[in-house]
Amino acid sequence: MLEYLPPLNDHNLPYPDTIHPIVVHFVIAMVLFAMACDVLGYFTRNVQLYEVSWWNLFFATVSIFIAIIFGQIEAGLAEPYPAAASTLNLHTLLGWSLSGMIAAITAWRYVLRSRDPKELPIPFLGVGIVLVGVVCVQVYLGDLLVWVYGLHTVPVVEAVKQGIL
Amino acid sequence: MNLDLIDQIRDQLGANGLPYPLPIHPNLVHLTLGLFIAAIAFDIVGVLFPLEKPVFKFLAIPATRSSFFDVGWYNILAAAIITFFTVAAGFYEILLATPPANVTSAWGLQAMETLLWHGVGGVVLLLLIVTMTVWRGFQRFLWRKDQAQQVQWSYLLVGLGIFALMFAHGTLGAQLAAEFGVHVTADRLLRIGENPNLLLK
Repeated sequence: MLEYLPPLNDHNLPYPDTIHPIVVHFVIAMVLFAMACDVLGYFTRNVQLYEVSWWNLFFATVSIFIAIIFGQIEAGLAEPYPAAASTLNLHTLLGWSLSGMIAAITAWRYVLRSRDPKELPIPFLGVGIVLVGVVCVQVYLGDLLVWVYGLHTVPVVEAVKQGIL
Repeated sequence: MNLDLIDQIRDQLGANGLPYPLPIHPNLVHLTLGLFIAAIAFDIVGVLFPLEKPVFKFLAIPATRSSFFDVGWYNILAAAIITFFTVAAGFYEILLATPPANVTSAWGLQAMETLLWHGVGGVVLLLLIVTMTVWRGFQRFLWRKDQAQQVQWSYLLVGLGIFALMFAHGTLGAQLAAEFGVHVTADRLLRIGENPNLLLK
């Protein structure tokens, strides 16, 4: 199947640099900031922040599916060596799960906002805090793949090609 | 940084060259870039609101113009605050960087040039983000307080220019990791002849 792709570079990619870590900016930042706005909005009674939170969540939902598309492409080309494989599997599993969670939470928020955009029930804040926790775990796993295992970095790709890894 | 100087704290550093297992700067970068880009993007959505009205109606998503400008304001404010920490963490990690001297990046730069440009660029971007936030504040609270369109076109244009700068700057940062292996544990192990497969199990 690889012959359908443009030639791969020294990062083992058909384009210059990894794209997935760029797209995830818009999932990580928007989810964390949305929840920060909800908590701030709840305690300061500033309902403007609820709207800010909703639109950030909306943006995160669109972004996570794009992140997954690039994540799958780059995971498929990552050639994970044995020590890295289980982390990549877990990151993939949690990534797909997060798409479901974020979409469902955004849908719930849509319903809450349609009923009364000035009120936010406590259970939503609770679920939001859990979501922040899951996002942090997912960021940790992605960090391991880049910063510990060095997937798609030139030295690791070279070592895999040479059969060292 | 000079290897002899880094040796002074060698017993505090891990295999990635840092006193903690994962670099902090790249994680704060998610927040800086995500918040700034979303801020400008939502201001653009706010300015073009008359065109989008039928789309939101079709999707049955209630939308008011002013809330897009609220997102534009609060997101850039958060970006400005967080970016001080992003740059601070970045400089700490630059000081502890020991990239190889014999590698040239895809952009034809060596490690020192890349580190310096990425460091200077970071300070310039911090300055730009803070200036944009102040500019945005003036538009929101003084100059355009009573106008339906809260931001000037020039603000959005400068914002798009900063996107281009961020792209170049971010690519330099990506090259520091993925080409020079700065603070990447596996790359550093390979460089000293160790096998990451055995050590990172």
